[in-house]
Amino acid sequence: MAGAASLAALVSGAGGACCGSPATETTGKVAAAQSPSSSNRANATLTAVPGIKVGHHTLAGRPTGCTVVLIEAGATAGVDVRGAAPATRDTDVLDPAKMVQQIFGISLSGGSLFGLSTADGVLRFLEEKKVGIAYGGRRIPIVPGASIFDLGVGDASVRPTADCGYRAAQAATDAPVAEGSVGAGAGATLGKFAGLERAMKSGVGSAASAMPDGLIVAALVVANPLGDVIDPATGRVVAGVRASGGSGFADARVLVRSGTPRVVRSGGNSTIGVVATNARLSKAEASYLAQLTDDGYARAIWPIHTIVDGDTVFAIATGTKSGAPDLVALGALAADVMATAVVRAATQATGLPNLPAVRDLRR
Amino acid sequence: MNRLLLAIAGMVAVSAALAAQASPPASPRATSGLTAVDGIKVGHHTLTERPTGCTVILVDGDAVGGVSQRGGAPGTRETDLLDPLNMVDKVNAVVLAGGSAFGLEAATGTVKWLEEHNIGWPAGPSRVPIVPGAILFDLGVGGNPKIRPTADCGYKAAAAATSGPVEEGSIGAGAGATVGKFGGPGRSMKAGLGTASIKHPSGLVVAAIVAVNAVGDIIDPSTGKVVAGVRNADNTFADARAILRAGTAMQRPRAGENTTIGLVATNAKLTKAQVTRMALMADDGYARAISPSHTNGDGDTIFSLATGRWDGTADITLVGGLAAEAMADAIVRAATQATGVAGIPAARDLKK
Repeated sequence: MAGAASLAALVSGAGGACCGSPATETTGKVAAAQSPSSSNRANATLTAVPGIKVGHHTLAGRPTGCTVVLIEAGATAGVDVRGAAPATRDTDVLDPAKMVQQIFGISLSGGSLFGLSTADGVLRFLEEKKVGIAYGGRRIPIVPGASIFDLGVGDASVRPTADCGYRAAQAATDAPVAEGSVGAGAGATLGKFAGLERAMKSGVGSAASAMPDGLIVAALVVANPLGDVIDPATGRVVAGVRASGGSGFADARVLVRSGTPRVVRSGGNSTIGVVATNARLSKAEASYLAQLTDDGYARAIWPIHTIVDGDTVFAIATGTKSGAPDLVALGALAADVMATAVVRAATQATGLPNLPAVRDLRR
Repeated sequence: MNRLLLAIAGMVAVSAALAAQASPPASPRATSGLTAVDGIKVGHHTLTERPTGCTVILVDGDAVGGVSQRGGAPGTRETDLLDPLNMVDKVNAVVLAGGSAFGLEAATGTVKWLEEHNIGWPAGPSRVPIVPGAILFDLGVGGNPKIRPTADCGYKAAAAATSGPVEEGSIGAGAGATVGKFGGPGRSMKAGLGTASIKHPSGLVVAAIVAVNAVGDIIDPSTGKVVAGVRNADNTFADARAILRAGTAMQRPRAGENTTIGLVATNAKLTKAQVTRMALMADDGYARAISPSHTNGDGDTIFSLATGRWDGTADITLVGGLAAEAMADAIVRAATQATGVAGIPAARDLKK
């Protein structure tokens, strides 16, 4: 796992660099081109789960975009929406009591609820490829989605549209996923307790765990929380509200306990993500997996699930690994890889003017 | 991820003395318990003969109540009533008990005590005491599993409730509580009941109480270190996170052994929907201080109460954020304040 992680770091370094120039629209094949090997053993991102493809499309007009997850063979799925300000579509269909059993893609985007239209483009792409539930000679692709609020970063009239979703789907590959300020994470920020003036740049992060028995659990996240990002292994702030007039972090935990400042609501928030496994799960088990994955948000983001965060986790199970899954291990690993993905969303991000990323502070 | 793994490896290597390490000064610790919230009383009754017991949280008057139920194996009563869509928005008491599903009977005694004191939801000539409750599974700990908290336990705990400092450790609902059960019963540790409070400079008070009986290990979120959990043969910590990531043999959680149940309270004025979000956010304290948490062998449940005695404007993000902090503090205290029982050592026993 350690070797895979360091390879992923190399790969994602290249991916993160893809967004340095907002003047050109980019799609997410950069990481694939830099990847030394297409072997999934070197892949510590969401595409470590066989059958899953990921593509980004980043807009030129301002930092925003979308990230599309494709499961063309279909997957059992669930969702957990615990933030209080969600922007989602087709989440009711994931209720274990509802009929449809499989989904074929997930569209994550910037642009607040306007960005939900990116899923329209993913539907069009999958229909053209004849992917989806068979219905009278046609195919109906089921593509749930969620969006982050990033309208406070640059020109708010520039938003990901159906075209963005279509292009991200076209760009989707099973290569290691490009991380950092790309796709749906292009406009993501964090540490907003004292407003955007002291906030930091965030982005897309991904992580994966492969067990000796063949179980694979992987996560991808677009981290755009009101709160700070914490490394659960040490309890320390990775990225967050910057100290006023100095270097270092103010620490949202200290700010909240000390009573200063009051919560500032500029900028907008939401952390949205996907956890995937090759285990065979029922729909109810997939919902449960999404819930347990949310513990990764709680460990790596402080605070989380606030009234101004629309935090959402999708869970997908491809079922290529046979046998009864150990739900306890699966859920715990899912929370673990999600926490790692959140930390990577912060460490792999690239800064914007007045919105430094972790790597900028280190210089 | 490399760094994470190194940190874990380091943790496995060092002894339980780590549990004594102080938190960084950046994260001030709580100073008092649940009764720091004006109008809240707490009473325990412990059945020392097994041990098990119950803990009753009494509201002076009533409070708006909510719940977050996220574990996969719950034992609860009156939680549907707390749904924000449903009518009754006031709670008179909450009962936390050991004894598995049998322990739900404890609430019956608390209802009786409240009726005798003419406390409850006005319904014609009578008053109906609103008493939600949850249980934890402790029948495998100690002596005769037929010894469980009954209505008598809930009555006595209500009668014993005071607004004084809350007694912690192996008492009340936490009397039979254990943690760190990934390695099987011989490697687990004793936990118990913990409480913590945070007084915000604005006058807002947020506090938590919890009986910790988790499958997982207890983690201090301010350091990432294990406080109590699965033990190796030499009484060092195996670290459930390391066991999990290595994919090595792991004891599946057994039904009837686990569940963490707790409550957060505030003096803020909250609506039923807001107090429900407070419970949901307090659940993040479980995720941070227990690893893993919310498993399908845990019936993890958190109640929330808002007394509304403070006139300030409550920001629910602030209240919820502090509730998660108070809950994580209370969980760590449940481990550090426990005393060993029936051959199961507590954190303080390992330090000797």
